[in-house]
Amino acid sequence: MTEPASTPSLYSERLKRAAHMLFFKRGKIPGARSWELKAGLGKGYSTVIEQLDEVLKDLDLEVKKAEAAVGDDTPVEEGYRYFVRLRGTLTPKEARMSGWRIDNLAALAACLALLVSKQGKVERKELEEAVAHKAGRWRSLTLMDTFLRTGYLEEDEEGLLRLGWRTKAELDLQSLMMLVAESKPESPTLEPEAEEGKAGEEVDSQAST
Amino acid sequence: MTKSGRSASVKRDMDDIIQTCDAIESRKFNPFLLDISEALRILRLHSEHLKSLQDHLLDMRALSKIARVVGLQSANLRFQSSSLFVDPETVKQKIESLSRQQLAEFLLLSWHPIVEIEQLTSATVKEALSYWNQLLSFFERRRRLDLGPLTAPSAAGLEELGEAGLVEAKTFNKRLLEFWDELRQRVSPNGVIDYWSFVRTSQFSETVARAQFVSFLVTYGYATMQRDGDNIILRPNEKPSLPTSGSPLSFPISIPREGS
Repeated sequence: MTEPASTPSLYSERLKRAAHMLFFKRGKIPGARSWELKAGLGKGYSTVIEQLDEVLKDLDLEVKKAEAAVGDDTPVEEGYRYFVRLRGTLTPKEARMSGWRIDNLAALAACLALLVSKQGKVERKELEEAVAHKAGRWRSLTLMDTFLRTGYLEEDEEGLLRLGWRTKAELDLQSLMMLVAESKPESPTLEPEAEEGKAGEEVDSQAST
Repeated sequence: MTKSGRSASVKRDMDDIIQTCDAIESRKFNPFLLDISEALRILRLHSEHLKSLQDHLLDMRALSKIARVVGLQSANLRFQSSSLFVDPETVKQKIESLSRQQLAEFLLLSWHPIVEIEQLTSATVKEALSYWNQLLSFFERRRRLDLGPLTAPSAAGLEELGEAGLVEAKTFNKRLLEFWDELRQRVSPNGVIDYWSFVRTSQFSETVARAQFVSFLVTYGYATMQRDGDNIILRPNEKPSLPTSGSPLSFPISIPREGS
């Protein structure tokens, strides 16, 4: 059996450097800004990134370019941040294994769908009420803080909530809205929600004591 | 209409317009709720009666607010023609009717989480080492900040730390037990005391601290709290005992500042 001939790449060294810059978290937000990549990889950094994207395809990963976080005052053409993210999607089991509860995922879905339908800005109270309907009042408060802390939501100077940098980087909002719009509720026999909801409220009321 | 009456009417109309625009901007109402041509007609109607600088400023503010609502209307139309548009009420109803499992699955089907690694690399170690080597000595940096002579560090006793608020003079448990003793001593012959007569002091901060200790006494079973009409009654227990039946209940009590 012969070894597959390795194709020497012009960018191999820069490719490694790009992978290091995008994978290893150096600040509060993962990934790297356009100007950082330009400084680290040179002018042709976009070609290197495209090549890295090709390489990552086999691992079900991709390089995503997203608008940089609010407050950054760099020029528009340099105001992008590049991330490495999953090309495909996670199964519920995989999501649970990486620390996500189904309740939290559902709450995030509800928040994002409502926010998008309101053109990306909504009062915090309105989102809390929508989440409280499913998760209970106390949990809705803590979940909202968690989404703000992790970057899925952001609060602007007027106190309104909007989509955060992580949502822009990780979520395919068009697909989410399509799924919500086309959805039909499950049949009541399959849905143990009423009892679960009641149990959740009990836990919440005890936790608040 | 008199001059002052006219002025009041101008102010009222403009305030109404500004408030409506503010509510629209904070997403309380649909931007199309405001009839722009009607709002502009009102501003035009009053334009001849603007006398003072305040009136002109108010007029300018109302006009700029209307302009922002026009911007929102334009954004709304652009959004409605995009593929992301779904009526908010429909979305709300859908979310309420869907199960948590369904919602979570929808998110998972649209979610591509970021991959990130947090660990040291040779590059970051080199960077850190270079930073360390270039870093000036503590005394040099201090000298540049011009902070004056350096006083030698000395040992601080518990008393000093307590005064600085860094250490509690007594442990929490000890204070709680002392508080329990005080409660037992102050109860009336029938073994109860009114909550406010026990908690309230002349200092607001002390009242809050005492209320906090009472909440711990009740939570840990050193005392029980009952409502008697508008009054709240405290009854110390002989021995700390937690209730074995029923479920615990939160009972918020607000402490008015002026009442303390």
